[in-house]
Amino acid sequence: MKYVDEFRDGELAQKLAREIEALAEPGREVKIMEVCGGHTHAIYKHGVEHLVPDEVDFVHGPGCPVCVIPMGRVDDAIALAERPEVMFTTFGDMLRVPGGRGSLLEAKARGADVRMVYSPLDALELARRNPDREVVFFAIGFETTAPATALTLLRARAEGVRNFSAFCNHVTIGPPLRAILDSPGLRLDAFIAPGHVSTVIGTRPYDFIVEEYGRPVVVTAFEPLDILQAVVMLLRQLREGRCEVENQYTRVVRRDGNPRALAALEETMELRDTFEWRGLGWIERSALRIRPELADWDAEARFELPGDRVEDPKACQCGEVLIGAIKPWECKVFGTACTPERPIGTCMVSSEGACAAYYNYGRLAVPV
Amino acid sequence: MSLEPEHCVTCSDEAVAATVVAVEGPNATVEADGRRERVGIELVEPVEPGDVLLCHAGIALEKLR
Repeated sequence: MKYVDEFRDGELAQKLAREIEALAEPGREVKIMEVCGGHTHAIYKHGVEHLVPDEVDFVHGPGCPVCVIPMGRVDDAIALAERPEVMFTTFGDMLRVPGGRGSLLEAKARGADVRMVYSPLDALELARRNPDREVVFFAIGFETTAPATALTLLRARAEGVRNFSAFCNHVTIGPPLRAILDSPGLRLDAFIAPGHVSTVIGTRPYDFIVEEYGRPVVVTAFEPLDILQAVVMLLRQLREGRCEVENQYTRVVRRDGNPRALAALEETMELRDTFEWRGLGWIERSALRIRPELADWDAEARFELPGDRVEDPKACQCGEVLIGAIKPWECKVFGTACTPERPIGTCMVSSEGACAAYYNYGRLAVPV
Repeated sequence: MSLEPEHCVTCSDEAVAATVVAVEGPNATVEADGRRERVGIELVEPVEPGDVLLCHAGIALEKLR
């Protein structure tokens, strides 16, 4: 497949692996956090961690948008879905995420009108076709997905589609990274920054990681060769005593991102004072809400929501997995009480969650 | 978008680079791996057939260079 095959070349992978071997200092462990769930998924799927020496340790970060949604927001979504006038639309992965009152899929089984969509634009189309229904879209995701919601809101306003609204849970990537860097006892040497988020926001938002925390960053694409090349670039920086934000994904990512996407976000959304992240707690100015000017399309403004906070299940260690403090298989319930079929924690739900990725691709390597 | 069914739809974990087949107002029909999708192109206009777009959640985020 064009644009894919050339990034999965086995010989090139071996060459990069040898380069990494040569750059790694024997006995000096380098902990690299891959921020994005997409990288986690690719690392496990393609066995990238088996191509690097023991000195290189991948720590899986908080960048799976499904995994970081707190249970209370899932309950709010279910409350919306259970309103008789509402047709609730969501990305597929959110259907099985457990809240305090079960999942959206269970709400659907009880009779709620819950539909899976691939795009908020599909939800807007459902609103056009069903003028007697209130179509609500469960907007989740980082800056990669937020522009799709922004464009949909702008189209809904331009066309005067009044029976469409979004339940906005969009989050931003910078603040949780700072929270992780500030967490006590956590040792990280370098970051693989997300490729597609950076398509939108550019590479500047990572400058604080090198300037304030002295950790190198490489913005990276999602094929196995991309990830191996990023490891080479990070090890080179560490070897040469450099600390920079480098861009491995130059075929798409620009320093300033996509200004039109940023403008669409700016026009439709603003930062919340604070937002709860699963595993990371409350983080200031880390999430987006719909601007008051667009309140007619904001589900939070239009409908009463329970807004209750729900504690994570005690057995669940998603929080520690999300900050890289433990590996998925070190969680007490991994692969036993918590599986992709019956997840307890969010990390086991999304195919990008560290636990699901490990369960699906890597669990045979480690006894559970 | 739905071109890579095994992957999470929230994050487009692998680049869904799709080639523009036709442009219709604010949307384009794009093709990747033999399958077609309609995506919003407001963020990457102007677009013409043959352009390769990075697509996610039903919109084009960037043009590939």
